[in-house]
Amino acid sequence: MTIPAFIIKNALRNKRRAALSILSVAVSLFLLVTLQVALRELTLPPEDVGAALRVAVRNKISLANLLPARQLPIIERIPGVESVTPFTWFGGKYKNEEGMTFAQFAMDAKKLRKVFGEAKMSEEEYVAFENQRNACIIGRITAEKYRLKRGDRITLESTVYPVTMDFQIVGIYSGTVDDRNMLFHQEYLDEASGLPGMVGMWWMKVTSAEAMPKVIQRINDTFANTSAEVRAESERAFQLSFISMWGNIRILVTSVSSVVVFTLVLVSASTMSMAIRERFRELAILKALGFRRRELFAFILAESFGLAAVGGLIGIGSAYLLYTYGDISKLTSGVFVVFEVTPRILAFASLVAASLGILASLLPSLAAARMSVVEGLKTLD
Amino acid sequence: MATEPIVTIRNLTKVYAQGEIQVTALHEVSLDIAAGEFMTLMGPSGSGKSTLLHIIAGIDRPTRGECHVQGVDVARLNETELADWRNQNVGFVFQTFNLIPVLTAFENVELPLLLTQLGRKERRRQVAAALDLVGLADRMHHLPKQLSGGQEQRVAIARALVTDPNLIVADEPTGNLDAHSAEDVLRALQALRRDAGKTVIMVTHDPKAAAFGSRSVHLEKGELTNA
Repeated sequence: MTIPAFIIKNALRNKRRAALSILSVAVSLFLLVTLQVALRELTLPPEDVGAALRVAVRNKISLANLLPARQLPIIERIPGVESVTPFTWFGGKYKNEEGMTFAQFAMDAKKLRKVFGEAKMSEEEYVAFENQRNACIIGRITAEKYRLKRGDRITLESTVYPVTMDFQIVGIYSGTVDDRNMLFHQEYLDEASGLPGMVGMWWMKVTSAEAMPKVIQRINDTFANTSAEVRAESERAFQLSFISMWGNIRILVTSVSSVVVFTLVLVSASTMSMAIRERFRELAILKALGFRRRELFAFILAESFGLAAVGGLIGIGSAYLLYTYGDISKLTSGVFVVFEVTPRILAFASLVAASLGILASLLPSLAAARMSVVEGLKTLD
Repeated sequence: MATEPIVTIRNLTKVYAQGEIQVTALHEVSLDIAAGEFMTLMGPSGSGKSTLLHIIAGIDRPTRGECHVQGVDVARLNETELADWRNQNVGFVFQTFNLIPVLTAFENVELPLLLTQLGRKERRRQVAAALDLVGLADRMHHLPKQLSGGQEQRVAIARALVTDPNLIVADEPTGNLDAHSAEDVLRALQALRRDAGKTVIMVTHDPKAAAFGSRSVHLEKGELTNA
């Protein structure tokens, strides 16, 4: 027999308890990894290939305030601006669904290729989208989710405008980081809503990354002190500011993660305390046989660490496998399209598992180390 | 009987503090135990015999006085030194056997050897010899729950002698055994003294068990009555 074999035999002496301890660590760490990845995906959304050259312009007051369409020719004349399109949130509900399950935006169909070039469709689809007034295109994920295909007609009831609109799907795009949105003509929305001359935002492509800061500055300056002041920013900055509007999602997720970890430490410490308390007499015997305090301390620490490590391996490993090789879009009903378990998150979760093993064993191992042999021998079996 | 003292106790006092009440377990005890003796400690419950055994074995400390075992004042050793000293010099046999339930008889006997520098092969040889000495060579792969009470106690004796200590201490080793098993255990202890020259100190209530020893010492209210 070796010392590691002795530790393993001790750890597995109550197989049901060991299995439940491992399972509780595994489930908690799976949850922790899930929360951390979700937080990362929400606060650091993936970027499209073309994001480096895109600028978003919105009303300076809030995203909900519209912008006048007359700003378009002014923006187009700014040096460094290559192409501009309106981009208006429609907020439509599909069929009888409770809420919106995919976003819809009205835009200038002819600008799609230039501004959002990563959206891939056939030439035929592009042409149909550009030329048909009630045409729309939808992302691959939404098409698959609702089993929609080219030629299908769909009706959407807007929660923003007092209209219900009919569309014909003329194309299904893919290649963006989020192939879920639906795009249709701004002119068609203007007609249906009876509110021509107003758009939600402007999205544009600039000629180069170097030109972007100047373009942003120029747009902001141009509309300063007008009735519709704007805020222009890079796509990345816009995404981050958009996320900040969600409020304290970071605090919420961090709080839930902290509660998960704290509860796990308490449960594990309690389990280890129970396991060690039951063996006080045996530990006293080991001391009598000549085992030193530090050796008993190491035994308990190794046992606790081992259980936490196995639980961590199962929990973190299964989260990694599921989110790396599983269809995350299907799993989350399209809420997330990417769910990347980064090395940083893996390292963080592993550190939590290791700390858990150490923390959970501290009190029982200290108690066992301090116990006198005579005191331990008096303990009832 | 050898006459060289292996244990020398002088004016040994042990006082336990139980809250504000102080209980004197041993009072000014002086005693010599010769090497190779099989000495039995007798006395009623609470007379201090187990406390005296624990101090001699280095698992408890006296409040006052001296306890020299093989020339070492055990009361002066720190925790780590004491642990090493116990491993090398004392073999323990307890009333409730105290084997580790998840380990086989072989592994239980091997436990004290894990603290030594011995290689695996040498450990195996010594464990096998110890189990053979107590007549349990054919039970070495049994778990404690697969052994009878007498067999468990004999495994405990094998564990006590596997490091080849000079001193074997036994705290009521037959207390939980039937008469037949008790006799087997007592004969095994007697053989350790006779054949291997070990010094055996045994606490017992039972005069029949005490008869297996070479000398009997009586304690009452913490004091020796026939040292």
